[in-house]
Amino acid sequence: MRTMNRTADYFSFALAIGVLIVLLAIVNWVPMAFQKDTLRRYRSIEEVRIALNLRDIYVPSYFPQHIVWPPSEILAQGKPFPAVVMEFKDAGSGKIVLVLSQSQGGPFPARPVINLAGIKETVPFIMKGRKAVLVVGECAKNEPCSRITWKEGPYTVTALMKAAPFELTRITDSMLR
Amino acid sequence: MSISTFFNSYAGMYVAQSFCHSLVAAVITERAVKAWKIDDPALQQRFHLIAVIFPIFSFPLYQAINANRSSAQFRLDALFDVNRWLNWELWGVVPLGLLFLVMLIATSLVFLFQETIPVVKHTLESGTAEHEGTPCAPEPFMEKASQALSLETPEVLVLDDDEPVLFSSTGRDPTIFISTGLREKLNEDQLHAALAHELAHIAQSKRPLLIAVFVLRAVMFFNLVVLVKFRRAISDEEKICDDIAVSLTGNAKALAGALEKFYHKPEALLETDGRKPPEVQIPLEEYSHNLHLESRITRLEHGATRARERGMGPFAITLLVIIVLNYFVV
Repeated sequence: MRTMNRTADYFSFALAIGVLIVLLAIVNWVPMAFQKDTLRRYRSIEEVRIALNLRDIYVPSYFPQHIVWPPSEILAQGKPFPAVVMEFKDAGSGKIVLVLSQSQGGPFPARPVINLAGIKETVPFIMKGRKAVLVVGECAKNEPCSRITWKEGPYTVTALMKAAPFELTRITDSMLR
Repeated sequence: MSISTFFNSYAGMYVAQSFCHSLVAAVITERAVKAWKIDDPALQQRFHLIAVIFPIFSFPLYQAINANRSSAQFRLDALFDVNRWLNWELWGVVPLGLLFLVMLIATSLVFLFQETIPVVKHTLESGTAEHEGTPCAPEPFMEKASQALSLETPEVLVLDDDEPVLFSSTGRDPTIFISTGLREKLNEDQLHAALAHELAHIAQSKRPLLIAVFVLRAVMFFNLVVLVKFRRAISDEEKICDDIAVSLTGNAKALAGALEKFYHKPEALLETDGRKPPEVQIPLEEYSHNLHLESRITRLEHGATRARERGMGPFAITLLVIIVLNYFVV
């Protein structure tokens, strides 16, 4: 009898936790349902353009052959500030090797899939008339990594790649007219 | 700095997430106490204190485990992302984050005026002022009870006041204060029970863990859930001291009788001249005071002071569930 009572106590607690998890999930879903411009995943860039009414989404016209198009993940939001993040995979390894982001607010907190840690050089340069900053360094396992940041209208655009700066500058060049 | 920028900073994430973590912990601990039918106030207090202490460390702990936790991707897949609500603009104008900030400020002010200033004032006064009141002749009961709690027998001072007043000062030189009004109302057993309760408070105040909780609690000065749960833990403390007092006197009924003397009765109800008493509005504070007293008296009268401990199992399970669940609350 005592064992049964104890089991009932544990079951009652587990049930309460189950209800709490469902409630949290519902409460989390409500803003997504009522605010179309809150942060969410999109299947295509066109979908982002239509849903958030963002006209200027900067996408390269040049891609090295080993990078898979379309992006493996697209995140975007209209509020609290417009921002788009795109991740691209390497055709061979299937790992993310290029991350492009543009944000009208602060830095967009995308996951650090490319961790540019050992910075070797920071070089300001002019890219098609825009002031840009190139950071050259290394990621894990001494892989070459580079990052270019520049202002494009109201956006701060950042391109981060597991590659030497030469390849990244060709990609970012192709993003601008 | 805009509101959304603040809530995306580490300070903002700490504030928002610690609030959510304490809320989730509060709900879980309430359910745990009910599910496992925990009647022991010492154990109940342990559960309530999870919601006070855990949110202080939860955010830095989770960030240390996974720095990726604050990323947009993690937030999208989380069980609950508070920023979705904080960024929500009512009628496209007022962000809910602003209302949340107002709540944090209001809670901070309550903490300042109802907890910090009175404590600082009390500390300064007890450090400088001489104790007022007439020393009471030493009682053998007090010496015996103090010995049982490994305390030096504190001084008992009698205050000249008709109202029922009983409290103790803690610190290096603990003293128990009792009013003449209360002494007249209590019989010997009730007086011993009341003094034993104060002795229990003095003994409890010497526990380093409890002192640490009082200090740590201040970190969450902005957190409404912590404010409420901390007060619950304090009210548990009264029941813990009731239990200690009963263990010292062996007379729960006497303590219940002593507590009844503190019951606030509306003035109009006291005039019993046969007529139906007029409806009296009891102030909320007195209502809450009476409610708390009632629950303590009922507990003592029903002999719940010897509630059985349920061991550390339920506590450990509850803590584990809180830690795991809150990891997915960002």
